Amino acid sequence: MNENEKLLHAQRKPLIFDIHHFALDDGPGIRSTVFMKGCPLSCLWCHNPESMKSGREIAFYPKLCINCGDCKTVCPEGAISFEHAGRIIRDRCTACGKCAEECPTTALKIVGKHYSVSNLIEILLSDHIFYETSKGGVTFSGGEPTLYMDYVGKVMKGLKANNVHIAIETSGMFNLDEFKTKLLPYINLIYYDIKLYDPRKHEQYTGKSNKQILSNLTDLVKEPDVRIIPRLPLVPKITATTDNLTQIARFLKSAGITTCELLPYNPGGIAKRIAIGKDIHPDIPRTMMGIEEEKKLGEIFARLQN
Amino acid sequence: MGAVTLQDIRLKEYTLDNLSILKRLREELLSKKPRVCIERARYYTEYLRDMSPDKEPAEIRYANAAKHFLSNKSPLFFDDSLLAGTTTSKPFGAPVYPEWTGMTIWPELDTISTREKNPLMLSKKEAEELNFDINPYWMERNIIEYTRKKHNNPECMRILERIVFFIASKVGCISHTVPDYKVALDKGVEYIIEQAALKEAELKKDENLTEENRQKLEFYRAVQIAMQGVIEYAQNLSKKAAELAAKEHDPFRKENFQKMADVCSRVPAKPARTFREAINSIWIVQVAIHAENINMAMSPGRLDQILYKFYKEDIDKGILTVKEAMELAGCFWLKLNDNTNLVPETAEELWGGAGTVPAVTVGGVDEKGEDAVNDLTYIMLRVTELLKTRDPSLNSRYHYEKNSEEYRDRLAEVIVNTKAVPAIHNDVAVIKVLENQGTKLEHARDYAVIGCVELASAGRSYDASSSIMLNLVSVLELALNNGKRPVTGDEQIGPKTGDPSQFNSFEKFWEAFKNQSEWLIGKAIDLNEYFGHAYQEILPSPLLSAFFEGPMEKGKDLIFGGALYNSSGATHIAFADTVDSLNAIEKAVFIDKKCTFNELSKALKADFEGYEKLHAYLVNKTPKYGTEDPIAKKNSHNLIRFLYDFYQSHTNYRGGKYRPGYWTMTNHAGQGKLSGALPNGRKAYQVFASGITPVSQAANDLSACLKAVGGLESQCIASGEALNLKYPSVEGEEDIKTFGQAVEAYLRYGGLHIQFNIMSYEDLIEARNNPDKYPELLVRVSGYSAYFKDLNEAMKEEIITRTAYNIKTGKAVPFPEKHKSMLAFE
Repeated sequence: MNENEKLLHAQRKPLIFDIHHFALDDGPGIRSTVFMKGCPLSCLWCHNPESMKSGREIAFYPKLCINCGDCKTVCPEGAISFEHAGRIIRDRCTACGKCAEECPTTALKIVGKHYSVSNLIEILLSDHIFYETSKGGVTFSGGEPTLYMDYVGKVMKGLKANNVHIAIETSGMFNLDEFKTKLLPYINLIYYDIKLYDPRKHEQYTGKSNKQILSNLTDLVKEPDVRIIPRLPLVPKITATTDNLTQIARFLKSAGITTCELLPYNPGGIAKRIAIGKDIHPDIPRTMMGIEEEKKLGEIFARLQN
Repeated sequence: MGAVTLQDIRLKEYTLDNLSILKRLREELLSKKPRVCIERARYYTEYLRDMSPDKEPAEIRYANAAKHFLSNKSPLFFDDSLLAGTTTSKPFGAPVYPEWTGMTIWPELDTISTREKNPLMLSKKEAEELNFDINPYWMERNIIEYTRKKHNNPECMRILERIVFFIASKVGCISHTVPDYKVALDKGVEYIIEQAALKEAELKKDENLTEENRQKLEFYRAVQIAMQGVIEYAQNLSKKAAELAAKEHDPFRKENFQKMADVCSRVPAKPARTFREAINSIWIVQVAIHAENINMAMSPGRLDQILYKFYKEDIDKGILTVKEAMELAGCFWLKLNDNTNLVPETAEELWGGAGTVPAVTVGGVDEKGEDAVNDLTYIMLRVTELLKTRDPSLNSRYHYEKNSEEYRDRLAEVIVNTKAVPAIHNDVAVIKVLENQGTKLEHARDYAVIGCVELASAGRSYDASSSIMLNLVSVLELALNNGKRPVTGDEQIGPKTGDPSQFNSFEKFWEAFKNQSEWLIGKAIDLNEYFGHAYQEILPSPLLSAFFEGPMEKGKDLIFGGALYNSSGATHIAFADTVDSLNAIEKAVFIDKKCTFNELSKALKADFEGYEKLHAYLVNKTPKYGTEDPIAKKNSHNLIRFLYDFYQSHTNYRGGKYRPGYWTMTNHAGQGKLSGALPNGRKAYQVFASGITPVSQAANDLSACLKAVGGLESQCIASGEALNLKYPSVEGEEDIKTFGQAVEAYLRYGGLHIQFNIMSYEDLIEARNNPDKYPELLVRVSGYSAYFKDLNEAMKEEIITRTAYNIKTGKAVPFPEKHKSMLAFE
């Protein structure tokens, strides 16, 4: 991310595209996961494509539309067209949200909402009994939560004051010093994505080199009070190759890391891409990864780690 | 007391294969066809006809009728059960109580055996006896006609008979109670007779008896008579068992008859000495209570507590094994299934498929507030897990500070394995609710569940918990239509609370709603009071009163307020639909101004035909109860609070307060089928949501749903609530753990009750389409269990469409696209 982009993020109010209550896959126990909007990477396979852009977007779900036409009437930009398959003419749309507010069926939805720090803390603490009964907590995910260190840090601080267990899911693309001062003191658990080892391929598929990601991880491992679990998304033919698995396993071993979760690919992002008018890259698989395939890769990886 | 010594609380080594007697009895039970039993009606009528009311005071006359029946009641042994005694004279019987419900089948005597839904076999001879002999006597003497005549067909009664406003089932609520079986076990029925005789003798010394003391004297006399009947029935069972033992060649049967002969010669007359005697004693008393009181929710209470000392002593002495305890408990479970309700065809629409709902309660804390889970708790859970029968309705108490996590997760596991039971009740909150109602702390801690979900200090509190079942949508419609209801046409039913199109704020509408509520509740209470007085005048309960704390001390029948604590319970149908409709009105008409009251009114009349856009808006964009929406929160809280305050300001004929609750049996399905379109977008004649459960498919987030329901002020839900949830599947220990944790979180938020169906939409649709393939599929309705195939179509539809939550994501599972037309909004 260049200085300009950083400045832009710093000025913009952080948006959240979803808060998943009763989340079981983002750390121990029953959790609430906060999905921040905006990401420095642009992975082709991203299964939360609505998290990539930090600004507000409008999603359209044609199945829910009853063709009442109210959206077109209220749109100040003339960005709604019933002749256009995606309904929204994206280059005209300013994502003002008027159409979604008017839509009676939720066929049009605003993606991205800002919460004040205190409001977000209040919402997350309203689930505190779930956290307590299950030894759960709150997970910050995205998008990339470290894009908003000041905001996320304040929320984490408020949660920590209430003894909430905090986890973060990150791509590892962040300024390490800033992370260490603003977020790390509150974090109990880090899920750290390692996607591709080869820096060129990483750049090819995610838009950025992985240099910072790898060096941040090597450094963070030395921190005494935080648990780090690397995660490797298995994307057929892209990350789920023997070469990549071998390289990553070797890297983790050399960094002294013994655990790593493999995340099987699911094509859930494709429908979401369509809803927000994003293109789908031809390399992206359209089907779930088979259990056999997942198992095989798991075994290969486990062997490599030993 | 926390006395768990079992190595394996799951008792996995015991299965129906090695508890073969239970396996056999269970199979027999499930293959039995219910038959109408007229034995009780015959003997009661016989006695009462011969003894005219002017010759004997009602208290004594009814005690004598009970005795007459019990001493003539056939001592029958239909199967190899280890327990003696049968509720009726049929292997699976529907007893006739002509005082009230018995009369409803009079027009159907010819068709009741052959009707399509849940037929009840009735022989020609018995039908004739009812037609010519029994029913004519009761024609003007049943409670309804007695009350009608006395009060000159009052308005409240005419409203009742519209069915669509409220139901006041006095007959059912007389039995909605938990008797005190400890007195039978620890002291014996002879002791009750002795005590009553002493009290009588004392009163007799006074030559100038006051009216009050004369009544007391009659009560003590009546108790002795009724108890004599109980003893005679047990003696007859003993004699018959001895006769059968003498004739029997099969060694198992011979021994079993001999044991029953011995046991019945002792209990319930004398105190029980062993577990076998104790459990037999309870069963005989339970049967005897049904001589006097209809088979509707007579709930045995905390059996794992009452029976524990007998179990423990026998185990310690080495005269009982865990296996034998399971067989005896299992036989008791199956015995509770030996009878069913007598229901006329039309009422099948409203109650179809319900059992008699004798609630058994296990677990929780003891009177000192300590962990009361013991080996018997786990034995009863295992028996329930293996038998999977409709009754008893098993209720588990869970105290999240005192009971173990192991116990909590075992409850979750049994629910998953039975797909339905037990229901879980929140000890911490329930005890507070009862204390707030004036129950002493140690008595509140000893609460048990009545029928569906209602709460009572066992054997001390007489709560008549189904006195009123009020349809809140009828109130809403009266408020929307200035005192009229679409289903009852142009007639002015309720007060004129104003034309809503003239209301300039939501508060004005809320006022109109409250006024209509107060009017309708007032009528329901009037009627309940009339019925209560009628029972006092012509149908007292001396037999039941003997098994209660209070009446024997006060010299007062339960129906006159003899119990230690008294109340009347009123439950409410369509709570969630009503709240969502209030939300929709507030948002659509007053906040978003999407439509005027006139437009809304027109849309409702048209069942949204031609108003598709407004309909979509109402369904998708107005606040829903069961979510975090602040408007929904406000309206649900206000409604709960308002009803509580209003009911509590009324005192009943026994000196207790009215308590509101939110459980609906199957009424929400039946009443839904009689109600027009609603402002929340529900289409006309669709089912309502059950109990206190959010509207199906309206609350998509499990944690928000649990927080919203758990967050309601439980103090105001003094007569209990039913939250019905559905998980399509729960697999493996991880899921069970999550299940237990989610339940606990809900209870910690304050929820009183929660119960589950573990079935997917597809499973249930399949079972509906192929009823013969799933004859034993057990479901939770709204506080009780039923076999899915027995339910009426409306009720099946309601259970199918209930929101199913994925336990791995906490999100609602989308309803299958191709069946969407079943949904209330489609």
